[in-house]
Amino acid sequence: MTDFPGLLGRLCESQVEFIVIGGVAAAVHGAARTTLDLDVVYRRAALNLRALVGALAPLSPYPRGAPPGLPFVWDERTLGNGLNFTLTTTLGDIDLLGEITAGGRYEDLSDHAAEVELFGHRCRILDLEDLIRVKRAVGRPKDFEALAELDLLLEIKKRGP
Amino acid sequence: MEPPRTDPVVEAYKAGIDRTLLIESLRRTPTERILAMMSMQRLVEEMRRGLRAASGRSK
Repeated sequence: MTDFPGLLGRLCESQVEFIVIGGVAAAVHGAARTTLDLDVVYRRAALNLRALVGALAPLSPYPRGAPPGLPFVWDERTLGNGLNFTLTTTLGDIDLLGEITAGGRYEDLSDHAAEVELFGHRCRILDLEDLIRVKRAVGRPKDFEALAELDLLLEIKKRGP
Repeated sequence: MEPPRTDPVVEAYKAGIDRTLLIESLRRTPTERILAMMSMQRLVEEMRRGLRAASGRSK
């Protein structure tokens, strides 16, 4: 099981600049569905790559689903050479996204994220309208039900229960 | 970013969603919502473990 407080705590305590998207953001907005991983869009500035490497290094990050023994080195060079990483760690699965469909990069999403108190940390969460917009743009059939739930949450928030 | 649009497939899924669960969830704090999700995951994992154990015993 993914230790969401642990992963979020590591990122926040290491002062990583990130925005939570995906299922955890949906849950923060009130969705009742569960998710197995933490999806974040991270800022690709050099200082932030360093912070991200430091945050996850103690958790033995490794490409999820990859066979063991790959020459995967978790460092700033690896992060800088890639963009999106789906990783497994000792605290659970995390997706580090440098850019997302219809959302762009951290800087593009920054004005669409709100600070929310989670487990004693101030975390930036993609707002509900943009979470819907991004999920809709990706257009995966498995997201239809999740989208319906998010749409309903938006209706409830706008009109009340 | 573009404004959201209505999708008939997504609209069809709405009928099957339990609004009371969403309203209940909105009464919680964001931290409590994540903890509730983790609690559900824990339950599912325990059930799976139980099923595997039962399946092993029946062989």
